[in-house]
This record gives sequence, C-alpha cells and structure tokens, in this order.
Amino acid sequence: MKVVPSRSSEWVRPVTSQKPASAIIEIDRVSQVFQTSARKDHLALSDISLTIEEGAFVSILGPSGCGKSTLLYIVGGFVSPTGGAAKMKGQTITGPGPDRGPVFQEFALFPWKTALGNVMYGPRQQGVRTTEAEAQSRALIEMVGLKGYENFYPKELSGGMKQRVALARTLAYHPEVLLMDEPFGALDAHTRTRLQNDLLNIWERDRKTVLFVTHSVDEAVFLSDKVVMMSKSPGRIRQVIDIDLPRPRRRNELLLDPRYQKYVVDIERMFDEVDETGSPS
Amino acid sequence: MTSRFIPINVFLGLAPIVLVIAVWQGLVSFGFAPAVLLPPPGYVFSRLLQQLVTWTFQQEIAATLIRLFAGFAIAVVLGVSIGIAAAANPAINAVVRPIVRVLAPLPKVALYPALLLLLGFGHGSKITLVAADALFPILLSTYYGASTVEQKLVWSAMAAGTPRYEILFKVVLPAAMPSILTGCRIGLVISCIVVFLAEMITSTDGLGHVLVTAARTFQAVDMFVPLITISLLGLILNGLLGALRSYLLRGFPEA
Amino acid sequence: MMSPEALARRAAPVFACIGLLAVWQIASLALKNDSFPTAIEAIRAIPDILLDKESLINILASLRRMAIGFGVAVLFSIPLGLLMGRSRSVAAFFNPLLMVIYPVPKAALMPIIMLWLGVGDITKTLVIFLGVSLPVIYHSFEGAKAVEEKMLWSGAAMGLSAAQRLVRIVLPAALPEILTGCRTGLVLALITMITSEMIARQSGAGNILFNALDMGQYDTVFAMIIIVGAMGICLDAIFERVRARLVRWSEPQFDMPLSFS
Repeated sequence: MKVVPSRSSEWVRPVTSQKPASAIIEIDRVSQVFQTSARKDHLALSDISLTIEEGAFVSILGPSGCGKSTLLYIVGGFVSPTGGAAKMKGQTITGPGPDRGPVFQEFALFPWKTALGNVMYGPRQQGVRTTEAEAQSRALIEMVGLKGYENFYPKELSGGMKQRVALARTLAYHPEVLLMDEPFGALDAHTRTRLQNDLLNIWERDRKTVLFVTHSVDEAVFLSDKVVMMSKSPGRIRQVIDIDLPRPRRRNELLLDPRYQKYVVDIERMFDEVDETGSPS
Repeated sequence: MTSRFIPINVFLGLAPIVLVIAVWQGLVSFGFAPAVLLPPPGYVFSRLLQQLVTWTFQQEIAATLIRLFAGFAIAVVLGVSIGIAAAANPAINAVVRPIVRVLAPLPKVALYPALLLLLGFGHGSKITLVAADALFPILLSTYYGASTVEQKLVWSAMAAGTPRYEILFKVVLPAAMPSILTGCRIGLVISCIVVFLAEMITSTDGLGHVLVTAARTFQAVDMFVPLITISLLGLILNGLLGALRSYLLRGFPEA
Repeated sequence: MMSPEALARRAAPVFACIGLLAVWQIASLALKNDSFPTAIEAIRAIPDILLDKESLINILASLRRMAIGFGVAVLFSIPLGLLMGRSRSVAAFFNPLLMVIYPVPKAALMPIIMLWLGVGDITKTLVIFLGVSLPVIYHSFEGAKAVEEKMLWSGAAMGLSAAQRLVRIVLPAALPEILTGCRTGLVLALITMITSEMIARQSGAGNILFNALDMGQYDTVFAMIIIVGAMGICLDAIFERVRARLVRWSEPQFDMPLSFS
C-alpha cells in the first residue's frame, strides 16, 4: 500500500498506469465558511487542495459533518467556495453543467415523470430529438438493469431501483465526471452491495472520472483507485491513499483478499487515531 | 350481491345523506315542522327537477357559473404566477409579502359595495369579488409549494443543462403542483360560496338572486332549490378538480 | 436593538398599507368618478362613523354577535372534533354529514333560518356559529387523528382513563392544529357576520355599509370598508399573538390559506 503524506497536492503516480493520466479536476486551496443562524461562522472546509486524474475512481472518505459533501457540491458548481477555486480542465467552475453529473443520496428523481421521462430529461434538454432520446434512454435503463420499468413512477420503485434510475438519468447526458454523494447510503446492505457491483460494471465500460463521497471504509476501498481521507470538521485532507488492487474487482474475491483487508484495517485505524487525539493538526 | 357492483366507499358515502333525507322527511311527516317552513324532501326534489329543465332556471345557473369560472380562473392565473414569482425572486417576495399580510385577513366581501359602485351590478363586480376571495389561498399555497421544492431536484436539472429561467417551468412548477392544487381546491370552494353570496346581496340574476326572490315571496320550496343546486354544483366541480388532481399528480407519492 | 432586517420586516406591512392607500388615492384621482372617493376623503369620514352613537352601537352589536357565535362554536366543535379524531365510529357517523354541509355557504342559509327564527340576533349568531364550527371541527379532527398512538399508550399505562387521555394528551397535542382551525374560523366569523348583515339588513356593520350605499354617501361606504378591514387585521393579529403563546413548543406550522407569517 502506498500512503502519500497528508500535505499532498501532487500524486505519486502508480507504476501500474498504462498511459500518462491528465488532471481533469483541480481543487486549489478551497475553503468554505457557512453562516449559521446564530450569526457564528462555521468553517466547513479548510484549505483543500486536490488533483483528480481523468478516468480515476476517487473516493472522498470521512466522518459525518467533515464537509465531504460540501466539497462535492463545490466541484459540481452548486455551491461557490468562499475561498480558493475548483477548476475543471483548467476552467474555474462557476456553476453546474452537464460535464459534471451528480447522483444524490436522496435520488432526487422528478416525481412527476416516469423512469423513462426522468432519464430522457437530460438528452431532451440538450436538444436531442424525442425519438432519439427515447431510444437512448431505453438502452440506458436496460443497462442499469431496469428493463420493463420504463413507465413506472419513482414512487412505485424501491430505493435501489430509484438509484439506478438516477444513475441512468445522469449518464444520459454523458458527463465527463460523475459526482456521487453517498449514493448508496439510503439503501439496505444487500441492495448496497449489489449496486456497488453494478456501478463498477457500468464504470468499466467507459471509465469516466468518478468522485465518490462515502463514510464507509470498505465501500471506498472496494470501489476506488484512490481514497482521500478527510478529517472531522473543519474538513481537511488527512491522507490520500492509492488503492493498488487489480480490476475488474469482484466482491466475493476481494473480501478474501488479504491486500484488501489490509487496506481496510489500516484506514480504519487511521480514523481511530483521529478520534483519540482529537482533530489532527 | 349488489355490493359487488357498487363500491363499498360510495355506499358508505351515500348512507348519511340518505339518513339526512330520512330525518328531514321524518320531521315533516311527524309534524315537527310545518310544511310551509320545511317542505318535505320529495316535494323539494321534484321542484328541483322541474326547475332544472326550464330555460329560465338554466339561464340563472349559467349566470352563476360564468361568474364562478371567470373569477376562479383569474384567481388561479394571478395566484400561481405571483406565488411562483415571489418564491423565486427575493425582491418580488419583499414587495408581495407585506401586501398579502395586510390584505389576507381583510374580509373581501366588505369591498363588495365599492365594487358595485365601480363596476356596476352585473357580472363585473361579482367576478372581481370571486377572484379577490379565491386569490389568496391559491397564492399562498403556490408560494409554499414553490419555496419548498427539494433543492436536489433543482440541482439535478441544472446539472442536466437547464438554464435558470427554465427551471421555474420545468422543475418548480411541477414540483409545487400538489400544493397548488390544494390551494385551488380551497379557492374553488370559496368561489362557489362567494358567488352565491354576492348574488344574494345584490343581483338581477343568478342562483343567489333566485333564493332571495323566493325568500321575499315566502316560497320555502323555491328557496331550497337554488341552495341544493349550488351545493350540487360545488360537489360536482370539486369532484372534477379531484379527478384532475389525481391525473396530474399520478406520479407523486401520497403525502 | 433590533437588526435592520428585522426592523424592515416589521415595518413592511405598514409600508404596504400606506402603499395601497397611495394607489387608491392616485386611482380615484385619475378616474374622477363621483362614486369613487379618494382615500383621504374616506379616511376623513372615519371619525364621523366612530363618533356617531348609532353606528357605534351597530358595530359593537356586530362584534358581540361574532364573539358569541365564535365562542359557542369553539366550545362545541373542539370536543366533537377530538372525539371524531380518536373514535372511528364517531368519525364515520359525522364525516359524510359534514362533507355535505361544507360547500353550502352558511350565510346563504340566512333566508331559510330567517323564515324559521325571525330576523333577530339569534339568526345571525346561529349562522356565524355554523360557519365557524366546520373548520374548527375539521382541524380538531385532523389534529386529534395525528396524535401519536404511543403517547396515548404511555398515558394509559400511567393509569389515565379514556376521557382523561382525551383532555390531557390529545387536546394539548392537537392544539397547534386546533388553533389553525380557530384562525380560519375567526376569518369566517368576520366574513359571515358582514355577509349576513348585508343580506338581512337590520343592524350591524354590513347594514351601515349598504345604507350608506343606498343613500349615496360614498365616503361613508369606503370609510366603513376601511374600518371593517382594520377589524379583520387587528383580530387576526391578536389571535396570532395568542396562538404563538399557547403553542410555543410546537414546530412552525404553515398556515395554509391565511397568511405568510
């Protein structure tokens, strides 16, 4: 396991990479201050600097309240950072856009549209003709495993199915980066593991860049190439860990793999260290 | 056997109405109420049917309905647009909010004399009164629905490439629909009530006018007829709105 | 010392009033219609009304009828609503009945009730009573229905009888919703009062309005409108204060059709 010291804004490139990966997202000294109702200022994020390479599956891992979702929203352009800037391919991010597609924990599906209607939203917005958009969307719905459910409304779908629709909806407008905010947090354990597997299968096809927020250590290790560990509030980057496990990853194999186990144990220990000594410096 | 054909809900819903009519008949038959003051239900309903086929009565119904629909429609258009505008734009909100706070508790019917002075005794004054009364519930529930739209829905639409001004139509309006329709329902009931009352106070035609005329000539039966008519109209319109609501909100989970 | 934003928010309704009056003034000056007096003329007519003994008696009579009608309605409707909320059989009995009565404008029953009970106070108070009862029953019903079972189970475990549970658990728990119903009822009481007086002219504020209309005293008409409006606003504001005090502990309720606050 390679562990990179916490003040990293540069990566040690894994020896195993085939082609030189280019940075697609740069987060440069981003900080975020929120005004709470008591007129006190709450420092959610402090001096975050991070580079995400194209095609990398990167997890942002941290305890509740450490600002990891806020960081994701800043990259998504939904929130403007109070300090520093995030850039996508060299351009400062000023707002949301179809190049960075979100998938939220609450699914956020449009309740007045069917599954098909939801997935078609993005392409239609981009001007794709209805028949073409419908065909594309049907294919996507099939890809996420929901063939036959196109005309169901979100209220008629289970949590796992809703999240699949949400994923299909985001993929439909072909974002370069997927921003996933604890997408499986609202699901039961069994559904979660199934969706993790399915996500990896889908991701393998075109290897988009993924920023994945989670508080689950084994989820982060299972899915990612890199794990960015964040400290408790105010959120700072503690460590960035390369996950050097082969792909494609199968859960039943990986669970028995001692390398996987070591990653999980080590990262969990790092979390415990934080709790004992309070906020890290 | 027949319960297989009549859904049990309809049956239960009708039972108390039947009960009321039975009590009504009982009061008359057993002499608790003189027929001059409380005509028996059979008489009233036959008179109602008799009236419904006459052209004059139909014209009265038409007059009432025209004012009802016109006033309600104006209230919906104004209420929904102002409600959404106020929810979307803080400047508009700052102007609209205090005005609504001042005007909402005011009994708009007190304005009726002023409306009569300005718009005369015909359709105009009544339509305006209906619109004024129905406006506020619709505006407020639209505002509520529009301002409590789930943030992530808006974000999802923005990420998919929706420009800001389109978000109002493509996300806020549909998402606020449950609230809007609830407000419309209240507004519709208010419209029925207000149009009837306005016609009772001063009018030359309409169902309310029919009632007042009958009162002046002490014709009890003819007083019940317009009353029952407006109640039936209200129920029918409410039912139609309910059906529309079911259709528009078919995707929404029951709140 | 209040923050500037809070100050602005408090002052806003006052500005709104002034703004509306200004619009009125400009409109009436522009229209130059004899029957549309300016705001200032109307305001000037207000003291004439308030100082006139006849009118004052009329207005106070209106308020008295409204108070009685409202009070009796509340005393009657809250227990009924609570019972309906907790007992399915009671609800099944009354619900459809209420649904039939709901769309009927209570003031429209005036002529019929007048036929039976004459033109006096009883008729008008009865109509107000009917108008207020429905929303209060409905909201008490909804509020009682929504009380968590578990709270009642705890009460039963503590040895409270069914009646005690109703009064000591259901009533306080449902109070926010009940008060929402009362607020609606208050608005309806005012409206029903005015309307019933407009229909059965005899005494009261509505009567003053239409008398002035008939006699061509347009200043008085508009002045009366302002007075009635002010009554409505004051009553609503007072009620809100009382309500906020009584249910300080509850989650903020959205008051559906009545007001922004």
